Amino acid sequence: MINILFFGRLGDFAKGVPSTIQANTPQEIRDLLAVDFPALAKELSEPQVLVSVNQMIVGWDQQLMDGSEVAFLPPVTGG
Amino acid sequence: MSLDDQQFMRYSRHLLMDDIGEAGQLKLLNAHVLIVGLGGLGCPVSLYLAAAGIGRLSLCDPDRVELSNLQRQVLYTPEDCGDFKVDCAAKALQALNSETQVSAFNYELSTGGAADGSAQVLASDYDLVVDCTDNLAARHLMNRHCVERKIGFVSASAIGWEGQLVAFDFGHNQNPCFSCIIPENTAEPTMNCGNSGVVGPVLGAMGSLQATTVIRMLLGYFAQHGEMQRYDGKAGRWFNLQAQAQEGCGVCAAP
Repeated sequence: MINILFFGRLGDFAKGVPSTIQANTPQEIRDLLAVDFPALAKELSEPQVLVSVNQMIVGWDQQLMDGSEVAFLPPVTGG
Repeated sequence: MSLDDQQFMRYSRHLLMDDIGEAGQLKLLNAHVLIVGLGGLGCPVSLYLAAAGIGRLSLCDPDRVELSNLQRQVLYTPEDCGDFKVDCAAKALQALNSETQVSAFNYELSTGGAADGSAQVLASDYDLVVDCTDNLAARHLMNRHCVERKIGFVSASAIGWEGQLVAFDFGHNQNPCFSCIIPENTAEPTMNCGNSGVVGPVLGAMGSLQATTVIRMLLGYFAQHGEMQRYDGKAGRWFNLQAQAQEGCGVCAAP
């Protein structure tokens, strides 16, 4: 199973999302979440959303290993 | 070169520290730092760097002070409204530390073309560039410049309750670069501070962290090239991430 985390304001859209999921890539996690959590999936589809696996920034097609921690971070661009 | 009596008093809290001392203070006094963006991040960054005795600060921002800035941009007063931010900031920083040489460029750093003044701003030999802007085009231009010049790049941003900082020491590392995290052709997100708001002290926290990172890098204590620090001010949580070089990156030429 994959442990999933939603950082910052993404957490507001992720209420009720299970903390673990079965998936092969972050993209697959987003696709699975779109079924029951469309508002969260929409936020995850914004440009500049970051994905990390075990705190390394990765692409959406990164292959996941059992027990990995996948974190999703919303874009932060203001100054 | 050594410090005079006034400087010994002014910078005594640095001089008391073994890992700064007179040699470290002289490094700060000899440094030239470019700060791009004099908004919510640029205000604390420039204040702390001027107070710390950075020898030369160049400030770049095309905007004028507006009333809605005063909730978070702590260098400005109501009397400044309508004036260029860089001019108001330069005046305030000179009042704080007249030893710091301050240059003000009321230009937009965007495409890098001759028309927008970018070439003039980037012509100087900076030791380090601090990104306090609110747009990706400027970030990518600074990133490219720092990769090419092999100098430090300290980038931060904030929105709502959240802040982000990522720093690169291109003097000692070729990659990754900012473009490895967010490629140059990426679109801007829907949310920005203008339509979604931002908590002032979150900008203060990230700006203070940027200023600390600048001082660390100038003194040779920075060893976290490509590490990103994220702050969620509402939850009171930090999260650290590491960027990785992207194969075929057109900016830092990652292998």
